[in-house]
Amino acid sequence: MSQAQTLPASPLKQWWLKWRFHLNILLILIPLGFMPKYFADAKLFRGDAGLGVNVISDIQVGPYSLDLAEMRDEAPRADGPAGHFKSFNASLCKACINDVKAVYLRIGKPRSLRAAGTIFFGAPYRMGTNLPIPPRTQPDAQIWITLEGWDGSMHQASVPLAKASPATVAWLEKQGGKK
Amino acid sequence: MKHLMRKLALPLLVLAAGPALAHNPMCECEEVASGQVKCTGGFSDGSGAPGVTLDVIGYDEQVLVGGKLGDDSTLTFKRPDGEFYVLFDAGPGHVVEVDYADIGQP
Amino acid sequence: MAKSPKKSKSKLWFLVHSWLALPIWFFVLIVCFTGMLAVVSQEIVWLANPDVRASKPDGDAERLSYQQVLDALHKAEPDMAVESLRQPDGSHFALTADVTFPDGTSPTLYVNPYTGAIQGKSPDFNFEGFTRALHGWWLVPFTNGFSWGWYLVSILGLPMLASLVTGLVVYKKFWKGFFKPVRTGHGSRIFWGDLHRLAGVWSIWFIAVISITGTWFLIQAILFDNNISISSRPIVPVIAREDVPQTADGSQAPRIDVDEAARIAGLAIPGLEISSVSLPATAYSHVTLGGRGWYPLMFQSAAVNPYTRTVDSQFLISDRSALEFVTESMRPLHTGDFGGLPIKLIWFFFGLVLTLMVFSGLLIWTKRTAQATAAALKRSERAPRVASRETTVEIRP
Repeated sequence: MSQAQTLPASPLKQWWLKWRFHLNILLILIPLGFMPKYFADAKLFRGDAGLGVNVISDIQVGPYSLDLAEMRDEAPRADGPAGHFKSFNASLCKACINDVKAVYLRIGKPRSLRAAGTIFFGAPYRMGTNLPIPPRTQPDAQIWITLEGWDGSMHQASVPLAKASPATVAWLEKQGGKK
Repeated sequence: MKHLMRKLALPLLVLAAGPALAHNPMCECEEVASGQVKCTGGFSDGSGAPGVTLDVIGYDEQVLVGGKLGDDSTLTFKRPDGEFYVLFDAGPGHVVEVDYADIGQP
Repeated sequence: MAKSPKKSKSKLWFLVHSWLALPIWFFVLIVCFTGMLAVVSQEIVWLANPDVRASKPDGDAERLSYQQVLDALHKAEPDMAVESLRQPDGSHFALTADVTFPDGTSPTLYVNPYTGAIQGKSPDFNFEGFTRALHGWWLVPFTNGFSWGWYLVSILGLPMLASLVTGLVVYKKFWKGFFKPVRTGHGSRIFWGDLHRLAGVWSIWFIAVISITGTWFLIQAILFDNNISISSRPIVPVIAREDVPQTADGSQAPRIDVDEAARIAGLAIPGLEISSVSLPATAYSHVTLGGRGWYPLMFQSAAVNPYTRTVDSQFLISDRSALEFVTESMRPLHTGDFGGLPIKLIWFFFGLVLTLMVFSGLLIWTKRTAQATAAALKRSERAPRVASRETTVEIRP
């Protein structure tokens, strides 16, 4: 666009002519600004930043034990019509690994093994899962951990949700029980 | 959910640090006419769940209505009396529970 | 000021062409530049890091099978859990293994495909991942659904496509431009203009591919964020509890090994080339084998039940719907990673040309504007009234 007129017409055009290339600077600032978070996330996914946040160590579940941690110190994330979810990581004790077939997580005591909640995926040293957070969960709710054995046996233990994820409890209290 | 991301990475290969929520199971139930309940199951990425087991279980753990989702990923059944919950069961750890109290009256 | 209608319409196309990129010019330039790097990021790492190379111990060495590699890994690191094994595109690359150590760290290891030896660990700075993240989503993190940076970058597909179309409209008889030499010695604006046009005509196909596939990424994000799936891919999340045997003594139920799974998959799916193996992530998960088929742009996969020895689900090229054939071709056409090194080099070269085009576009603009402004100032010094005649652009027919 040529600039034969020495005097631009409107104030808007003047403003635009002055600031348009600053838009580029702004755009460049975005990745620069996010770079620390990018590298922190990479470190987290590599397992170099520990199991997660608010780690609860050595939770006794029957004869076994495991560590539990939320992936991030934040409120549950919405996943469309499926509801809100929190990512958790867990680490089984080394001696337990051969005996434990599967590990599940649920808000509230499971009614049965079938409805024990969501399963943990991955290596027993660092496995992850998405825990659904029902909208009407009470702030004093318990997270129930279920361990299933290869012989069909079941062991369970619970930890307070407030301890495992204070951010989730804060979110629930703000929600006030509304959907 | 590194694992799920890696599983996605196989065919898609685009989500390096992609969405942490890949596909979570979901089930929504609503009352429809004449005391029936219609439940629709699926996954949060929009996929349906045809043929997946959907059981209606009483609080005493008796299976009141045992069924599978149809090709349209839904199952309609007569609303049982008393306390019950609906269990969408796509396998261990891939379940969704819907409590009777959350299935609204029309 | 009377202009012929043809001239003023041409002017309009030209204005649109230049304004499509100019306000965010530096952003567009970096997106193109990082894309160019991302295409060959694996190769750059190969050059820089010997751990990544598939060095043959001697001339006759044979590649190990996947189970043999797993056995070698288990022998070297008995407590290490292996989640997957992958052969990158190109036999000069070592295998990559996603593993987890007892301390919870989960690196990617580089494994020699001939000996099974662990050659090294992926560095903390993942160059391939970084260039991909910077190019693809401007480093903006994914939280709920797709990152807004993804939207920001992918939406550029639209002005790029419009830039191609307007550029061709404005460049009269562009088909004559393929062998037009670049004029030197007439000043830098002419030089850059000629270069821009020459590079442009040779890149028509590439710019079309990149802008259309780039726009697809936008559509993909919109679909995902609205929970709309067009996938016909079967979802078989896990094996049913009753199908996994229980053992009386609580020991693990036996599972077939990877080579056996590969053999079973190969029987069910003839011609399945396996380039990746995902080991079961839970006691109820399948062994997933994947690889390319006859259509190099797509992956096929088979999920083998390690207890019942059946192929519980598969997703082959023939399973895709016609729509999926198109949509799944989009990403590989954008990244150029469907044909090994030769294709990557073509994509890299044209990526470089595209980057230069964005750069030269700006140079032309600044110089033309500077010249036009200078000319206008000269005119206004000579005559009292402000010259309203705009300098026309010099488009060579």
